[in-house]
Amino acid sequence: MADAPVPAISVRNIRKSFGQHEVLRGISLDANDGDVISILGASGSGKSTFLRCINLLETPDEGEITVAGEAIAMKRNRAGSLVPADRKQVDRIRSELAMVFQSFNLWSHMTVLQNLIEGPVHVLKRPKAECIAEAEALLEKVGLAERRNYYPAHLSGGQQQRAAIARALAMQPKALLFDEPTSALDPELVGEVLKVMRSLAEEGRTMLVVTHEMAFARNVSDRVMFLHEGVVEADGAPEDIFTNSDSERFRQFIGNFQA
Amino acid sequence: MDFDVAFLVSTFVKLVAAVPMTLGLFACSVSLGALFALGITYCRVSGGLVLSAFARAYVFVFRGSPLLIQMFLIYYGLGQFPAVRHSLFWPVLRDPFSCAVLALALCTAGYQAEIMRGGLQAVPSREIEAGRAAGMSGLLLFRRIIAPIAIRQALPAYSTEIILMVKSTALASLVTVWEVTGTAQRLISQTYRTMEVFLVATLIYLLINFIIVRLMALVEYRLSPHLRERPVPASGGGRQGEVHG
Amino acid sequence: MSWIDLIGFGEHGRGGILLWAMGMTLAVTAASLCIGALLGAIVAAAKLSASRPARWLGDAYTTIFRGAPELLIIYLVYFGGSQAVTAVGQWLNYEGFLGLPSFLAGAIAVGLISGAYQAEVYRGAYQAVSRGELDAARSIGMGTMLRFRRILVPQILRFSLPGLGNVWQLSLKDSTLVSVTGLAELMRTSQIAAGSTKQYFLFFIVGGALYLVLTTLSDRVFGFAERRVARSFRHSLGRH
Repeated sequence: MADAPVPAISVRNIRKSFGQHEVLRGISLDANDGDVISILGASGSGKSTFLRCINLLETPDEGEITVAGEAIAMKRNRAGSLVPADRKQVDRIRSELAMVFQSFNLWSHMTVLQNLIEGPVHVLKRPKAECIAEAEALLEKVGLAERRNYYPAHLSGGQQQRAAIARALAMQPKALLFDEPTSALDPELVGEVLKVMRSLAEEGRTMLVVTHEMAFARNVSDRVMFLHEGVVEADGAPEDIFTNSDSERFRQFIGNFQA
Repeated sequence: MDFDVAFLVSTFVKLVAAVPMTLGLFACSVSLGALFALGITYCRVSGGLVLSAFARAYVFVFRGSPLLIQMFLIYYGLGQFPAVRHSLFWPVLRDPFSCAVLALALCTAGYQAEIMRGGLQAVPSREIEAGRAAGMSGLLLFRRIIAPIAIRQALPAYSTEIILMVKSTALASLVTVWEVTGTAQRLISQTYRTMEVFLVATLIYLLINFIIVRLMALVEYRLSPHLRERPVPASGGGRQGEVHG
Repeated sequence: MSWIDLIGFGEHGRGGILLWAMGMTLAVTAASLCIGALLGAIVAAAKLSASRPARWLGDAYTTIFRGAPELLIIYLVYFGGSQAVTAVGQWLNYEGFLGLPSFLAGAIAVGLISGAYQAEVYRGAYQAVSRGELDAARSIGMGTMLRFRRILVPQILRFSLPGLGNVWQLSLKDSTLVSVTGLAELMRTSQIAAGSTKQYFLFFIVGGALYLVLTTLSDRVFGFAERRVARSFRHSLGRH
């Protein structure tokens, strides 16, 4: 598929500090439709913060975020910090993206099925019967069809994360954001989640994945971005940068993992 | 509402005059209650089937029913029986102050017994085991290991109960004991200046509470050097050693 | 006339009015819980707010209404309230004493007290709600009101249940102090029955026993509710 003229996500020059500590020092990214981009880096390199800036769960100090050609309007408040200009726009754009979290974050007072239809029914305002039908199809896809009426507390970690992925898909998003989706899972449960993510990549979904899973980054993604202390140190196709990257730090980083 | 300072001051003075009565009720009932609670806890923990059932029933009754009814029962109810009136306890049971103290003590004993039981249960069994392994048993084990740990565990809950006891002394005013609340009520019905009297009386209770909370915090502090920051070694260990405030 | 007759339902039996008084006690406690829920929610919001004056006011409220003896607070509401009502009456050209109805005074007074405790319950419950679940709601575009309604409130209610059970028990016992206003709840009714028959011991024991029934029943009801709610949220082994 030829590159779409408008990138799915376009981010320019994101800067973010927490107090005195500058976590992001000017990061830019373009993700076209169908791109699967893995974001790697050591702890504290800012990768989760960067991802959370894209859907404004964190507000950057500087920078522009554009989703499907629509720029998120920002303004300066009285204290001089950057804030979204239009809350409704932020909510709308968030509903076009979907995030999968490290700690799953399923709503504990709702069953799996209710978790999946919550967004489509209350945010997208689609008819309930339609949402339920779609949700059941998604649960089938991630292998959780028989658990539709279970509460999150009764599921294993891997099952909860697959449910969370189904919940994200239920929003029919333009792009999926994954924030270390397998980091909180016991090793034997990681595989089932990666399998689901791989099949989504093969379907042609646009995905931004912050991860420590080298195999996924190397084998499944179209591009790999390596962050170090708030700056992009390496960026390119996995076959290029995993074998010969210019960045010493990146080579050291992957040297610490058996690829 | 104008700030009638003179009235506020005279109210304050009149109410402060009743503070010794409140404190007297408080001190007597808390200590008597502690004694009863020790007995009940003993029954509960080491007693046989009968004693432990008695202890559980006691706690159930005195925590499940309101203090006021317990107080009226003792003050009005006991005096009803000729046997009581002619017994040697009558001088005590006839006096409003003693009746109030007795009722307060019996009530707090129920709550204190639960707190003590909780403290005992919170003693880590591994520390008891260590004591036994060192050859301790019975009273020695209790005195040196179990009780000190149990007391430290129970302190926070005990502080809460003590504060509640200060407030409970107010009920004594309903059996004609002239402590702070009773005096306040009399002032209100004489002067009709409800809000001002209420605020001054509340202030006095808050002050009493504050002092007691501080005292309990001091006790907690003294009893828990093991929970504080690590001490800096006396020998000049490293200038770079972290110093905690 | 034996004591059984006195507490029974016969001609001189006080059984009927005692049962009615139990109902009154439940009613005034329930009313106070509702008033306290409203106040507690407001005060909890104040204590959680970013504004310093709001937090200070919230703290002042809980300090006063948890620190002052309950009896004093009832005097405040009953006498003070009656004075206020009389003043309003005078302004409307009615001369003479107007009392605040004792049920209202009692419910408001115990409500003010339970509100202070409920504020702490709601504040703790709010802080126990998982930030991650709120993030997830934000990330799919749920606005503030929607998040509040669909995620925050259900979870706050679930976490408040044990604390509310305690507050109910507390208020049930505080309701005995409403007897000083003359309201015919269980305490006052026991007192009147005791006084008119001179059977103090009997009627205070019976009254106490009836209170025990109320507290035990309440315990069962709240325990049942907590267990039902906990069924869905039994923590999974391992992770959060």
